[in-house]
Amino acid sequence: MSIDTSPAPAPSLKGRRRPFRQWFRVLGWRHLVAIVAIAFAILPVLWVISAAFTTDPTISGGSLLPREPTTDNFTTLFTNPDQPYLKWYLNTMVLAALVSFFTVLIAASAAYAFSRFRFKGRKVGMMFLLLVQMFPQFLALVAIYLIMAQISDVFGAIGLDTLAGLGLVYLGGSMGVNAWLIKGFFDTIPMEIDESAKVDGATHGQVFWGIILPLATPVLAVVGLLSFIGIINEFVIASSLLQSPEKKTLAVGLYGFINQQYSENWGPFAAGALLAAIPVVILFIFLQKFIVGGLTQGSVKG
Amino acid sequence: MAELVLTDIDKVYDNGFHAVKDLSIDVADGEFLVLVGPSGCGKTTALRMIAGLEDITDGTLTIGGKVMNDVAPRERNIAMVFQSYALYPHMTVAENIGFGLALRHEPKAEVTEKVNRAAQLLDLVPFLKRRPRQLSGGQRQRVAMGRAIIRDAELFLMDEPLSNLDAKLRVQMRAEIASLQRQLGITTVYVTHDQVEAMTMGHRVAVMRLGELLQIAPPQELYDRPDNVFVAGFIGTPPMTLFHAGLTVDGDDIRLKVGPQELPVSREVLDSRPSLRDKAGQEVIVGMRAEDVYVSDREGLSPLSISVVLSEALGPSVHLTFGLEGTPVDESRLGSGLDKGDEAEVTRLGHGKEIQGVAVFPPRLKFTTGDIVTVYVDSTRLHFFDVETGLALR
Repeated sequence: MSIDTSPAPAPSLKGRRRPFRQWFRVLGWRHLVAIVAIAFAILPVLWVISAAFTTDPTISGGSLLPREPTTDNFTTLFTNPDQPYLKWYLNTMVLAALVSFFTVLIAASAAYAFSRFRFKGRKVGMMFLLLVQMFPQFLALVAIYLIMAQISDVFGAIGLDTLAGLGLVYLGGSMGVNAWLIKGFFDTIPMEIDESAKVDGATHGQVFWGIILPLATPVLAVVGLLSFIGIINEFVIASSLLQSPEKKTLAVGLYGFINQQYSENWGPFAAGALLAAIPVVILFIFLQKFIVGGLTQGSVKG
Repeated sequence: MAELVLTDIDKVYDNGFHAVKDLSIDVADGEFLVLVGPSGCGKTTALRMIAGLEDITDGTLTIGGKVMNDVAPRERNIAMVFQSYALYPHMTVAENIGFGLALRHEPKAEVTEKVNRAAQLLDLVPFLKRRPRQLSGGQRQRVAMGRAIIRDAELFLMDEPLSNLDAKLRVQMRAEIASLQRQLGITTVYVTHDQVEAMTMGHRVAVMRLGELLQIAPPQELYDRPDNVFVAGFIGTPPMTLFHAGLTVDGDDIRLKVGPQELPVSREVLDSRPSLRDKAGQEVIVGMRAEDVYVSDREGLSPLSISVVLSEALGPSVHLTFGLEGTPVDESRLGSGLDKGDEAEVTRLGHGKEIQGVAVFPPRLKFTTGDIVTVYVDSTRLHFFDVETGLALR
């Protein structure tokens, strides 16, 4: 018996337009969904850009294209001594960079232990981490505040109204899910690679730094990026722990523009938010090349 | 280079599974020892205990005269090739090969020189700058070998290093690894489930089953004088035909009753296997190698009627799978057929009371399925085993 491999004759479409309804059912609706999704993502950004370059205090009524484009809002940001925007900016970036760096480091170390070692309490420990993470961090706000207040009495450098203290609170809260996330990735790296390195003469530390971490860059980049963004956005804890104007983060400081005290200051707020987005975008573009799969390809299996 | 001694090694896992039982092996300096057995026989566990990747529950392990039970893998000065190669995917071939030396902080120039020398030996020079994912299976395998040979290790451990390669490459690498080992003279323990590798590569072969060492001997001796039914059935392709037979000894006259047939056996058999006399009038297990069956009669051969099941012309020979009325040997006493390739599969197709066996004949002989044929057996080369213990009767 022979098998006919020639393609079935294609229905002739030339010269005959497909009816619109058929086009819409197959392809058209996808375009529609895409357009709506793009609009949904881009319009708010456009609005903020527009608001940043206009002095019209009522953002709701303004048009998307500012009638008289101006950079007044930016000037305001950098000149008002009561609202040290530049200071907030630096505070936030340094805090976010340090905390996300240490988050990755600590979570990766925990994940390595959970993924590679077998010890008593391993399962319980992992469940505990996850369980703690189930509750939002600000549920513990009162407790955190009290602890920080007491620490202030003993060791002021990491107490209330200090960025270092805030950073430590963030670090404590960011462990659980990230450790799980990274552990999940570590588990996909074949054990034999570790074993091979160990036989080759590597210590646990050398396996961790030289083999596992380089292979796990995609997940480390994701965790780093997410925690960086998370810290820039975080408001509840920062606003309750930080009081002095020069210690505020961007989220807390910018909020000052639009709450009652400085009402109707959407212009500087938008300008400030726009500038805050720049490092995140840059970081995203930079980390993007690391967030690729297939790094372990070629290691095992012929 | 060093001598490796395992004394009463036991491995019991936390879940109570007894993976290796009282394993004692001496591997001489420079020897190539092959550990072979079906899946789950404990051979890989034994190797991992030698490497230090698995704790030793009980017993003593010495390498070069030093007790190594509690020494970390990196301090045992061993090199290991894994079944999956376990290359470092983010490093180039050169970095992969030189990794062990770099860890020991050897001078860069020296590392480069040694890497180049190893690469030359393994034909890897053009690939030194590539990453593992850009290599073929055979090349990756050679990188794994390179990583092992560069280190002046005292001991090579190889865990089924060829099982991920295609058949042709496997044959080639088999020869290459064996000759490399002879060239370097480094004590090697090689784990495989492929008995062709076992036969062709090692100075000695250790057959394991269910965590126990059954026999350790040079390959030919293992083939010619298997200690028990399991080794007899496991070593050799096509596998030995094994069946139950009634043994009659009348003075110097000895006969086997296979099903309804009587098979006269040469007197020499009794002389060379005196313990057969004790089994007179009882059942024994008889083993018959495929090449000890002939199509034409000759002085001293014993005729046997068989029915043709399947005839396979392989070119240089014809493999004849035949049926024989009688009692086959309980499969659970033999190696798992899965580990032994297709021939074994065919052999085990038999059902009920029929024995299935394989004979190898010269090429261009034609057989028709279902025909009854008389073949001639060289009875001096038969193997006899105790029905109860499965041990060889000699």
